[in-house]
Amino acid sequence: MDRPSQDSAPPRSSEPRQAISRRSLLKAGMGGAGLVGAAAIGVSLNPSPGADVQGPQSEHVHGRHVMPAVVGEVDHARNGFNPTELLTDFDAGKISVLPNGQTLHEYTFAALDKAIEVVPGLEFAAWTYNGRIPGPTIRVREGDRVRIKFVNGSDHEHSIHFHGIHPGNMDGVFDAASGVVGPGGSYTYEFDAEPFGLHLYHCHTPPLSKHIAKGLYGAFIIDPKEARAKADHEFIMVMSGYDVDFDGKNDFYVVNGIPFHYDYGKNPIKLRVGELVRIFLVNILEFDPINSFHLHANFFHYYPTGTSLQPNEFTDTIALMQGQRGILEFRYKHPGRYMFHAHKTEFAELGWTGVFEVEA
Amino acid sequence: MSAPATPAPVGPRKPGLRTILLFCLPILLLAGVIGVFVFTNGAGLNITPAVPVESVQFGQTILRPAEIELHLRNTSPKEIIVSQINVNEATWPYAISPSRTVPRLGSAVITLNYHWVQGEAYEITVFSSNSIPFNVSVPVATTTALASKGTLWSFTLIGIYVGIIPVALGMFWLPALKRLGPRAMMFLMAATVGLLVYLGLDATTEALEIGSTLSDAFQGTGIVGIGIAGTFLLLDAISSRQRSIGRSEAGQRMTFATMIAVGIGLHNLGEGLAIGAAYAVGAAALGTFLVVGFILQNITEGLGIIVPILRDRPKLRSLALLGLIGGGPAIAGTWIGGLVYSQPLSVLFLAIGAGAVFQVAYEIGKQMIWKDCAKRQMPLEVFGGIVTGMLILYVTGVAIK
Repeated sequence: MDRPSQDSAPPRSSEPRQAISRRSLLKAGMGGAGLVGAAAIGVSLNPSPGADVQGPQSEHVHGRHVMPAVVGEVDHARNGFNPTELLTDFDAGKISVLPNGQTLHEYTFAALDKAIEVVPGLEFAAWTYNGRIPGPTIRVREGDRVRIKFVNGSDHEHSIHFHGIHPGNMDGVFDAASGVVGPGGSYTYEFDAEPFGLHLYHCHTPPLSKHIAKGLYGAFIIDPKEARAKADHEFIMVMSGYDVDFDGKNDFYVVNGIPFHYDYGKNPIKLRVGELVRIFLVNILEFDPINSFHLHANFFHYYPTGTSLQPNEFTDTIALMQGQRGILEFRYKHPGRYMFHAHKTEFAELGWTGVFEVEA
Repeated sequence: MSAPATPAPVGPRKPGLRTILLFCLPILLLAGVIGVFVFTNGAGLNITPAVPVESVQFGQTILRPAEIELHLRNTSPKEIIVSQINVNEATWPYAISPSRTVPRLGSAVITLNYHWVQGEAYEITVFSSNSIPFNVSVPVATTTALASKGTLWSFTLIGIYVGIIPVALGMFWLPALKRLGPRAMMFLMAATVGLLVYLGLDATTEALEIGSTLSDAFQGTGIVGIGIAGTFLLLDAISSRQRSIGRSEAGQRMTFATMIAVGIGLHNLGEGLAIGAAYAVGAAALGTFLVVGFILQNITEGLGIIVPILRDRPKLRSLALLGLIGGGPAIAGTWIGGLVYSQPLSVLFLAIGAGAVFQVAYEIGKQMIWKDCAKRQMPLEVFGGIVTGMLILYVTGVAIK
């Protein structure tokens, strides 16, 4: 879909409407393929009895006003991942202790070309880490050793570039010596986990925008040595988008891989009043300069990049550019259904939206 | 009859079984080749495209209060599956009938419960399962005119204003023109030819222009070619037949006038179609100024119809009939255009109109101008007339384009 950039006006027809001319009139009537023609006599208002009416629509019609939504449900099993499970899927890897006493976390990451049903009925030719978007959420403690064996099973060159502090040859940017891997090849990234906070990783092979937009990214959490307060729920949320028709503009926006997944009538996230909720929020959205997060009917403490144990803001809306991330903490005071979504309305209505269902 | 003695008759034989078989031979071979190609997956050619080739043709977009209805026809080589729809930066729920899976050349009706805003623009993207986007735009949203007594009457009125009234007004020149001498007559006939050629060019361009926006499967240029050539030759055949029946000179001239009226009528049908469709989009575009412009331009059409019969004393009834033939189709055009609009059909109608006026121009040139010129050379009158005819439409066209 031709989505205008942030500051441009909504799309308009190329024919200015005030031009009253015969030619423009003829064109208005007969020109571009889906101009408003006219109704066939007797076209009924409702789809015929045999019509393929999809679930969400009829529900919306009878229940409440129609809201943006996809029609149908994606096949999570075939995709190989389910955003509901991704929410709490923190991966510590294979844990062992090194001779020097350091804890070692070992992972194997594979780059895989994979068709993913991003919205019901539509397959996106994605590039993935381990067959899922976002990739696995790495979670280690500050000072631990991280060892990631990266196998490139894709047809293209890829790498893993971690945000964090590490040697240049672990940065995944320039060449084979620094972790850029050709098809069929492999490389092992190894470094100490620092600094504590919420970070991310993504492919850093040019053209970078393509490699990110296709799905090669994930979250990288380094917990502080002294653990944060115990939360009742910890959720990972990675914000991104899909340019399914490859025109350099996102057609759908998303948190955790599948647009609208946590929406009302779909798979809302269940909470209880008073529970402490901690969200690890990462923005890796390509093409659009800024993404955002807004929580309904509540405020949260915000820890930018998670590198401090003291929140620096108490708010209900934050903006993040690509690569920015932070930790949110909040409790719900009242039971109810509350939306969370990008406060760029367009992103929300194209998929980056969800609902917390809070019970007493 | 002693058959053995008779020599075999010379000349075309009746096609026997053998002939039919011989005709079928290449077709059978062809079927074999196609079979080999299909069952061996391209007979060695790697013909699987990297990305599926998909195209659709959108028909009417119908706007009702809080509802948008899209009509879509699959013009791609294979079936397509509609997956999701975005309306102006929002993914929107929809219902589709009869099915999300649309077979080749099959059609589907998509309904969106959407609170559109009067006068605003909408861009709708329909995604297929292969992530191919198909865009429909609604440049100016307004409730689509549905067939009712009211809308039919307004369409009829428009047809009367832009078709019947100007043609009839043009015919009122008849008494004045009767006083003209042969040179002026020649000039007028030439001017009629000029008018017709101009109208034909206009309709052809329009047909090609809309034809080029059709999906490949509809082959817009082909429709234009068939429409023009078919109509031209059909009318030519009819007029030759009329002549060969052997009527009086006056009768023949009346036939001419009728032919011109038919040609102009077909042209006005195409014009009515465009106006009707535009009116259905939003009556706003059809200003008073525009209607006046149409009257101004189409008045010359009435003039063209009566030129062949200036020497005669046509009955009032015949004149009324001619006016109706020339102007009436504009009404039918507005109905069709406004209520059951279809782009491929419009291309065909425009092409038919073009073919008709070209044929009439050719006919006048051949039968009247050349005949008269055989008696007396009037090259300047012919030149001046044709150019004037075209210029009249050009100048009146400036006012309304």
